[in-house]
Amino acid sequence: MNTVLSRANSLFAFSLSVMAALTFGCFITTAFKDRSVPVDIHVSKVMLKNVDDFTGPRERSDLGFLTFDISADILCPCGSSCVCTPLFLYLSAEYSTKSNALNQVVLWDKIVLRGDKTKLLLKDMKSKYFFFDDGNGLRANKNITLTLSWNVVPNAGILPLVTGSGRKSLPFPDAYETTQSY
Amino acid sequence: MLSIFSSIPTHMDYKGQKLAEQIFQGIILVSAVIGFIYGLIIEQFGWTVYIVLAGFAISSLLTLPPWPMYRRNPLTWQPVLPESPGDGREKTQENTKKPRKHK
Repeated sequence: MNTVLSRANSLFAFSLSVMAALTFGCFITTAFKDRSVPVDIHVSKVMLKNVDDFTGPRERSDLGFLTFDISADILCPCGSSCVCTPLFLYLSAEYSTKSNALNQVVLWDKIVLRGDKTKLLLKDMKSKYFFFDDGNGLRANKNITLTLSWNVVPNAGILPLVTGSGRKSLPFPDAYETTQSY
Repeated sequence: MLSIFSSIPTHMDYKGQKLAEQIFQGIILVSAVIGFIYGLIIEQFGWTVYIVLAGFAISSLLTLPPWPMYRRNPLTWQPVLPESPGDGREKTQENTKKPRKHK
């Protein structure tokens, strides 16, 4: 402690320890929050086609087109209405077919950056990615469930995967090339 | 040129070192508490980090340079013994060596 360097050394070390303790405190105060918020998903239109799937087994597979609305007020991990950490949102469809007990397809996603507003009010959205089934499991499927989930990237601690509490189950049309409105 | 640098006092006395340590620990802890509460209220951890960094800057400004307030209790050295033949010479060497070790 009698030279400048030794004082600087102990000052750095002490500040670093305090910063580590504060980071742990940040983790403790954000880790046990319930982040699930109500999400309202409304599907306005579903179109079903049977087309050649060139990526898959080279047979005609079911391809669904959805038009949907999402309204949700996603809280950031600390609770205020503006994001303090990035969020990765995605809309996924879950359904079961004869060949697979559980299929999950990501239809749409969005990255909400720091500082953006998290009050989502999206109307007449088209799905970003192809909703391909690996067979003919979409036609006349009575229970296709859409959920909105998101990853939270916090300052410190675990990366929570939050699923919104609102989910939408809908039946798909019985015939191809027909548009069903809900 | 070098004599200018060597004439700059860089040391602190023992009480000054203790005072400096208490000052920087106090400033950093207080800024950490303030920053944590402020960051908890506005819910942004970045501000906590900024406030702690500000406390770090203030405490390094206050305690890194050897300000005169840290040199108020200089060590009282033993007076130089009159040089005498025999073992008296070794004693004076020991006496002068001991405090230098702590310096």
